[in-house]
Amino acid sequence: MSTQFTQYLQSTLTPGQAGNMLWATIYILVIFAGISLCVVFINWGERKALAHFQIRLGPMRVGPHGLLQPIADALKLLLKEDTIPANADKVVFWIAPFIVTTAAFVVYLVVPFGPQHAVTDMNIGILFMLGVSSLGVLGIITAGWASNSHYPLLGSLRSSAQMVSYEVAMGLAVISAILMTSFTPGVASGTLSMIGIVEAQKTQGVWFLFKFFPLGLIAFGVFAIAMIAETNRAPFDLPEAESELVAGFHTEYSGFRWSLFMLGEYAAMIAVSGIAVTLWLGGWMRPFPNLLAGSVWDTIFSLVPGAFFLFLGAVTLYGTARMPKHPALRIQTLGLGVFGMAIAAVGLVLLVPAVRVRVQDIFWFMIKVAAFIYMYIWYRATFPRYRFDQLMRVGWKVLLPISLGVLIVTGVVGLSPELLTWLKGVL
Amino acid sequence: MRVATLLRKIFLLDLLKGLSLTFRYQDPKEIYTEQYPLQRPQVAERYRGLPRLNVNPETGKTLCIACDLCAKACPENLIVVESERDPVTKRKVLTKYTFDISRCMFCGLCEESCSTDALELTQDYEIAQYGREGLVLDRERLERGPEGKVYER
Repeated sequence: MSTQFTQYLQSTLTPGQAGNMLWATIYILVIFAGISLCVVFINWGERKALAHFQIRLGPMRVGPHGLLQPIADALKLLLKEDTIPANADKVVFWIAPFIVTTAAFVVYLVVPFGPQHAVTDMNIGILFMLGVSSLGVLGIITAGWASNSHYPLLGSLRSSAQMVSYEVAMGLAVISAILMTSFTPGVASGTLSMIGIVEAQKTQGVWFLFKFFPLGLIAFGVFAIAMIAETNRAPFDLPEAESELVAGFHTEYSGFRWSLFMLGEYAAMIAVSGIAVTLWLGGWMRPFPNLLAGSVWDTIFSLVPGAFFLFLGAVTLYGTARMPKHPALRIQTLGLGVFGMAIAAVGLVLLVPAVRVRVQDIFWFMIKVAAFIYMYIWYRATFPRYRFDQLMRVGWKVLLPISLGVLIVTGVVGLSPELLTWLKGVL
Repeated sequence: MRVATLLRKIFLLDLLKGLSLTFRYQDPKEIYTEQYPLQRPQVAERYRGLPRLNVNPETGKTLCIACDLCAKACPENLIVVESERDPVTKRKVLTKYTFDISRCMFCGLCEESCSTDALELTQDYEIAQYGREGLVLDRERLERGPEGKVYER
């Protein structure tokens, strides 16, 4: 047991590859707990950021700046009455939220948070991810059907149509990124493994976003639009359009099972952002690994995570000093101060050499994913919802041809040296 | 012209414009919300809130001469003025004055009709109650006027 524990700390493989069951289990638990915690705080962050976009303040009363709001929300949801409609199909009604949540969480088995920080490295990683994440739509359809009600059924039908149409464009965009992995000099074939894709970007010395300049960017753009539609977020949130369908497929759900839907939705958001980061933004790699190479730059960039957390702690403490001096706010000010200290302490731990070498990959991955989550909220604050026919038009008549064209042109450009020699031989 | 619109569509310029607009609104200076119990809005001087019966600050006696004009002016008939004649001075003396703010619409006609500036609608707006009981104000309450509410949280 203890040998397994220490063995992994020196290993450069993922626990799944090394056959280290202990660490694989630890990783699964840590990822499950960590993602759940992230979801809870993304929920807070979304309410806060959305409020600021709409020149409001958002939650302010529960804890300093509403920091304890997620805990209050979770308690409220767990204590709420959990109703099942009288005419609902009870078994299916029970299973549906679990399908959504499970599909969202199983995806994390292959998400590479770092070269060693993934549960396992499947050789069909990206295929597995796309396959499992699209199982989530099954849960949505069963939820809509089992509720035995009009609006949920309409919402889930919209959702299935939307997911099927956007999956095509999304898949083609992904394929063009996978195609780029096969253009690594000295390597005979491409790879579907999530870690392999990032390694390919490392050896090619360029993020696939900037590969064959406009092509990678266009494929990424197609994916970035399709992934919003895949996760049912605004402006493509037709399955749960409040103004049209009450709440769409989860109209009849309440309490714990409703919170499972929310958990699944936000976990899927993080997972899909993880795919985008892995395929186009260099996964766990720090910025400019080739341009600013060398041990000096390595050290500087490995100090960034700790410095980032120290900066966050300093901002929090500055906020503490600026809290209104009111006797009713004394406990909140104290709490915010302790929170800032805790963040700063995390930053100090991240500055320890042994820790920062092992953990900085996770930091770079998460900071990229966080940028995507912010974009999700930003889009939601900016764009109005598409009409259903507009949604279908964008999916089939715009994104699909673009992604097909990008795929073909990527292949031609990638094979251009071989094509040129073949042409010379023919002529 | 058509090329320009095509280019706008291809580079999603309209969407980017919208995104930059919402991004600018995140500035903390733009925030419009007031943290109510801690930050109180400045009320205009002519605001019509909780009524008060003014007393002469020197003698502590009421300014009301029980002329009943306010009760007559009130469209809701919610002011009741009772008085008796002092046998010595032959003046009306106020014995009872009630003001039912549960029916009041704060039109301010009573305040306008008052000939001695005794009745005044103050700027206190925190007059909500949990029941109807406390809403019929008697003379004592009216003379005390607004009591600054202290919120614990």
